[in-house]
Amino acid sequence: MAKESTTIDVGEPSTVTKSTSHEKKKGFVAAAAGGGYKRGLAIFDFLLRLAAIGITIGASSVMFTAEETLPFFTQFLQFQAGYDDFPTFQFFVIAIAIVASYLVLSLPFSIVTIVRPLAVVPRLILLISDTVVLTLTTSAAAAAASIVYLAHNGNANTNWLPICQQFGDFCQTASTAVVAASISVVFFVLLIVISAIGLKTH
Amino acid sequence: MKNESTFIDVPAESSSAMKGKAPLIGVAKDHTTTGSGGYNRGLSIFDFLLRLAAIVAASVAAGTMFTSDETLPFFTQFLQFEAGYDDLPTFQFFVIAMSLVAGYIVLSLPISVVTIVRPLAAAPRLLLLVLDTAIMGLTMAAASSAAAISYVAHNGNQNTNWLPICQQFGDFCQKTSGAVVSSFVAVVFFMILVVLSGVALKRH
Repeated sequence: MAKESTTIDVGEPSTVTKSTSHEKKKGFVAAAAGGGYKRGLAIFDFLLRLAAIGITIGASSVMFTAEETLPFFTQFLQFQAGYDDFPTFQFFVIAIAIVASYLVLSLPFSIVTIVRPLAVVPRLILLISDTVVLTLTTSAAAAAASIVYLAHNGNANTNWLPICQQFGDFCQTASTAVVAASISVVFFVLLIVISAIGLKTH
Repeated sequence: MKNESTFIDVPAESSSAMKGKAPLIGVAKDHTTTGSGGYNRGLSIFDFLLRLAAIVAASVAAGTMFTSDETLPFFTQFLQFEAGYDDLPTFQFFVIAMSLVAGYIVLSLPISVVTIVRPLAAAPRLLLLVLDTAIMGLTMAAASSAAAISYVAHNGNQNTNWLPICQQFGDFCQKTSGAVVSSFVAVVFFMILVVLSGVALKRH
């Protein structure tokens, strides 16, 4: 329309006016700002995943190697304790290992959200799968925590003896693994919230 | 910048024409948002119904565990002849946590109604998503810790000499297992709720 009534020289300012009028439109400003904002969220998401990988691998391996052999014999209790004496701890090791491998497999999706901050599908996939894995991690951590509590305190009503009084090192190692898994649960909640915020601003 | 290089007549036409461009694009956006508004409203209604179902699941879990007392008709020397949820700290945590969860869902119903009435508002959905994720973690923690204790109660543990008490307290074990199953159902509901909120946030 500027070209209709002016000379060819005006074509240059018309492109300039087009760019300024585009800048006035809020949508483009939001897109440019949202791209940078979301890229920051995606980078934070990637770093959180790396930290969560470290913690989950640590939790699983610590529980896996939580063995203790007492130097004496007793008539009633075994003189060895290991993670495979408790089905809950077996579930813990396997579940946290699955969670760690999921996190490694989700790293490419996280990189895609860094490279393409405005893409919706990777974030939605991450949100859904993070929710499922959050429940698995919480389940493993909570079940192991309840068994660790039982091992520390016993239960007078059901006559379950606190074995930690004999197997102190085993109990300490198992408790450390449970604490590490609980920290990874917090990381997963943060990851889900980041994906949700990244999905929101369009 | 227009006035610098054009005649007086042209800015009036070109500027109004340029201004005319904006509402056209704005109207196009409105068409897409009304389409997704109806879709989001459907998601919100499904969200509300799921919350009602989750209230039932959570309160059934808490109530069943709370009333799972059993008294055996005979005396034994070694074991108590009574069993209740307060004999196991994990079950106490379960009852308190599931009650909290049921109360939370009741309190979140108004926010869900807001998302039905205003399908395109992002803040209520984001708030619901964050809170639902946290409460889902709490529910899963309560459910799985109670499940671990129920497993030990059913099967015992030979290595630690923990005897399976379910062989004496059958009704107690049945009720607690039912409560645990109900809480896992509530966890599934929460998972669907979180995914729903995420999908609804996507369409803005």
